[in-house]
Amino acid sequence: MEKKNSLQNVWKFKLSAATVTLIPAAVGINYVAKAFAEGLKLPLWLGSLGTFLASMLAGPIAGAISGFINNIIYGLTLSPISTVYALTSIGIGIAVGILHARGWFASAKKVLPAAIIIALVSAIISTPLNVIFWGGQTGIAWGDALFASMIAKHVSIWIASFVDEFVLDLLDKVVVAYLAFLIYKQMPKRMIYFFKGNEN
Amino acid sequence: MIGQAAIDQSKWYAKVDPISKLLLIAGFTLASFVISQPLLELPLLAATALLIMFSRKTKGLWAMTAFSLFLIMTMLLIQGLFWPGNHTLALKAGILLFYQEGLTHALLLGCRILVIIFSTCFFIETTTISENAKYLEAAGLSYKQVYVLMSVCYILPEMKQNLQKIQLAQRARGIVPAKSVWSRVEMIVPVLVPLIIKTFQMAINRSISLQLRGYDSPERRKPELKQEYWLGHKTHLALSLICLFLIGGKAWLLVK
Repeated sequence: MEKKNSLQNVWKFKLSAATVTLIPAAVGINYVAKAFAEGLKLPLWLGSLGTFLASMLAGPIAGAISGFINNIIYGLTLSPISTVYALTSIGIGIAVGILHARGWFASAKKVLPAAIIIALVSAIISTPLNVIFWGGQTGIAWGDALFASMIAKHVSIWIASFVDEFVLDLLDKVVVAYLAFLIYKQMPKRMIYFFKGNEN
Repeated sequence: MIGQAAIDQSKWYAKVDPISKLLLIAGFTLASFVISQPLLELPLLAATALLIMFSRKTKGLWAMTAFSLFLIMTMLLIQGLFWPGNHTLALKAGILLFYQEGLTHALLLGCRILVIIFSTCFFIETTTISENAKYLEAAGLSYKQVYVLMSVCYILPEMKQNLQKIQLAQRARGIVPAKSVWSRVEMIVPVLVPLIIKTFQMAINRSISLQLRGYDSPERRKPELKQEYWLGHKTHLALSLICLFLIGGKAWLLVK
């Protein structure tokens, strides 16, 4: 009964003063983490770390909004096409929020299957966008090499694009999920309660 | 938009309101998707390029185009070589055989991307954060939503500064960027964790300030729009109708 109530509470959302400051902070974390990964030339994006944390702290809707705004801002500063991937970020925010509320981020063991589910959600939403805008490619060299080798063997563009996206997403989301898990565990309790809206 | 200089309000592009500019992006994007021949995309590409050239605001254009140009090149390579619809040989480069159908498909996608980049660039380079904030609120968006959108633009430069400070401090402690991928992954924790905790702490401080300044006060006054725009609502209506017409056109083409 208690678990059912907590799952119903997950969808409760109010644009309180705590949430309106959490969302821009999460967008900033996404932006800086992505820039940091690019600076270190890592084979990862890390651009959803803030979305993960916002979903874990304030629920799936706050996470989805953070992801959505992140792509809008990224689209308006660096790559306009990134704007359409706002749909993927919304999906990631919702998936993380639900999985966190169901206890999938409670221990390091559970984080791995959660990351795989999130990578699946991300790949399913991104594949049609990749096919429409980039002919199925993702823009990451080794993922695209895999895509090229698959379509050279007459595999359908949709399947090749999905595999290209999923392989990249899997690595990225596993690292991001463990980072988010680690950061959440290290956060002071008062910070967690503040953003969850029950600091009193 | 972020870290952007002030816009000269006497220029022609300052008379076009932000929503009309967003509808222009939507119109150009939809038009580029209705067209299915790269040659027919050229007038659209020229129109969007002229729009940005006439505004003489091309500073951000090069960075945005360069970002996507590499992808367009790889698209030409991969689709030209392996696109499933390839039949007609277009050119041979050593052992590589490029096909006409794949190259045409990649060119079409590339033109669409450039149309989106050019039209978006016009919006980015000719509007400011404060203009957008005031206009969106005057257009009916709640000030809380406007605050969330706009505060992001102010937080990002602050976070970049904090990132640099933390990286400098870690370097001073002897943590240097390593060569192997795993060592670089390990670098994430000592830099990102303090940055994130600091960012959340600053968010808490901002939240308390907002509450103290009467964030939820029902007596809040809407900001006044000082800038005068050309035919705001009529332009919105005309551009919205064009967008609907283009959506209808695309749906008709798909059914046909």
